[in-house]
Amino acid sequence: MSFVRALVVAGPSARLAAGRVAASRLALAHRWHSTQTPRDPLLTTQHKDHLIPEVHVRSPGARTYTAADEPGKDFDPYKDGPSAIDKAVHLFFFTEIIRGMWIVLEQFFRPPYTIMYPFEKGPLSPRFRGEHALRRYPSGEERCIACKLCEAICPAQAITIESEARLDGSRRTTRYDIDMTKCIYCGFCQEACPVDAIVETQNQEFSTETREELLYNKEKLLANGDRAEAEIAANLQADHVYR
Amino acid sequence: MLRQSRRTLPRLQCYASRPAVGPRVRCRTVATADATGHPEAGIADPEAYCRDLVRKRDYESYLIGSCYPRRLQGAFFALRAFYVELASVQDNVSNSMIGKMRMQFWRDAVKNIADGRPPRHPIALALHDASQRANLPSYHLRRIIDARDAELHTPTHLTLESLTAHAESTSSTFFYLLLSLLNLSSSSTFSHAASHLGIAQSIHVLLRALPYHASKGRMVIPAEITARHGVRQEDVFRRGGNADGISDAVFEFATVANDNLLTAREMFKSGSSGGDGGKVPQVAMPVFLYGIPTRDYLGRLEAVNFDAFAPSLQVRDWKLPWRIWRGYYKREF
Repeated sequence: MSFVRALVVAGPSARLAAGRVAASRLALAHRWHSTQTPRDPLLTTQHKDHLIPEVHVRSPGARTYTAADEPGKDFDPYKDGPSAIDKAVHLFFFTEIIRGMWIVLEQFFRPPYTIMYPFEKGPLSPRFRGEHALRRYPSGEERCIACKLCEAICPAQAITIESEARLDGSRRTTRYDIDMTKCIYCGFCQEACPVDAIVETQNQEFSTETREELLYNKEKLLANGDRAEAEIAANLQADHVYR
Repeated sequence: MLRQSRRTLPRLQCYASRPAVGPRVRCRTVATADATGHPEAGIADPEAYCRDLVRKRDYESYLIGSCYPRRLQGAFFALRAFYVELASVQDNVSNSMIGKMRMQFWRDAVKNIADGRPPRHPIALALHDASQRANLPSYHLRRIIDARDAELHTPTHLTLESLTAHAESTSSTFFYLLLSLLNLSSSSTFSHAASHLGIAQSIHVLLRALPYHASKGRMVIPAEITARHGVRQEDVFRRGGNADGISDAVFEFATVANDNLLTAREMFKSGSSGGDGGKVPQVAMPVFLYGIPTRDYLGRLEAVNFDAFAPSLQVRDWKLPWRIWRGYYKREF
């Protein structure tokens, strides 16, 4: 019953402290009271020593008010906290410890959450925006029609396109470069593309040893597209419904 | 890896003009077929691309498409793919600027199709092909684009009137295009019925997508109607079908659709257009087949007591192919 002991030990000293505080408050109140009461003008003429508190001058009906008498101003440090009994219950409730230990025991028999990262991978959203790729139609024709909407919308200005007309009259890119060091992976190029040519694949592991390797050209992007076509098509289909 | 990427740089120019390589193509086709279950044709066969797109995104239209005469099916799927593509732009873009750019692409495409040099987009090629076969006024196409463009800024409507106007210039305009595809655009009865059917169909699509739009924080029922039933939008977004008054608002909105559907049906009953006893003339029937999925949806909505969030409304109705086939032969919707 340590809390009882603590209460008993703390009791007298706390009471003493309270008494001291009350006494000093009382003195202060007298000071205020004495300076603020309107005096009789006849009495004020004589010289007075203001350093000596005038405890004896007091209006007959007046009460001395302390801070404790002010409504709503009393200060109880334990008011919002748990009661002593609550604390004791928590202190002595061994079930809490046991419950904690039970969780530990449960986890002990469960398979670990850790995944062996390079070999196992966590789930990715179909909308994950990773490395870029340029797609082709199943016939092998490039989708990109060099409309340059992606170049225009790119907030990081990472895309550079040059195009020319082919013999059959179709416009094709001769150059499609993405500076992957500038790219902020916002996905705007993908959204702006009217033919779904440029997409961001789910691949996030394309770190390189040098900066130059991150300046992707058209061939690299098309190769990315060829590698991930099945995945891209499935992801695009995942949320296309006419509404 | 470094050496490889440096080596590829000078070859960039010649790669662009090189024709596609054989073996690679084959393995890619297999991969696509695995992912989607159907090989998606591209520039080489725009009609198949459009048909595939409609099949994946708008199955009802795919069913209706098979009721068109064989020679016009390609044109129908081109038009529907165009319509679906524009309608899904707003779901695929994260800000309206990108959407506007895509709309501008389509505006240019429509202009270039009229000039006879379509962009190398499968849908644009198919539309060009369709416009060779039938007279498709490009102002209808432009009107759809403009309406979808405006929708990017104001996805919600305050009044039923503005929503109706929007439906007129999207869904109804699409029906006008179908009528001109079938050389029937001169008939005022058909146009009038198509305009009402378009409104009904538009409301049907909006109601069907209500749970989706609510999950995105958009309220598709006009504020005029929701206010009348004391529906709080936030309540709908959080509690779905349990929100106060939502089923009343859905009821009123569905009633508007039903009224328009009935009006469209009345057009043929009045008998001024050669319709015999409420039957639609056989030539025009493929256009008005769109009334069948709408009627079907409204019936199912009534069956669940106008709870637009009911899961049974989200599944495709297995009886729909039969109903469309039967409607086509009985010539009524």
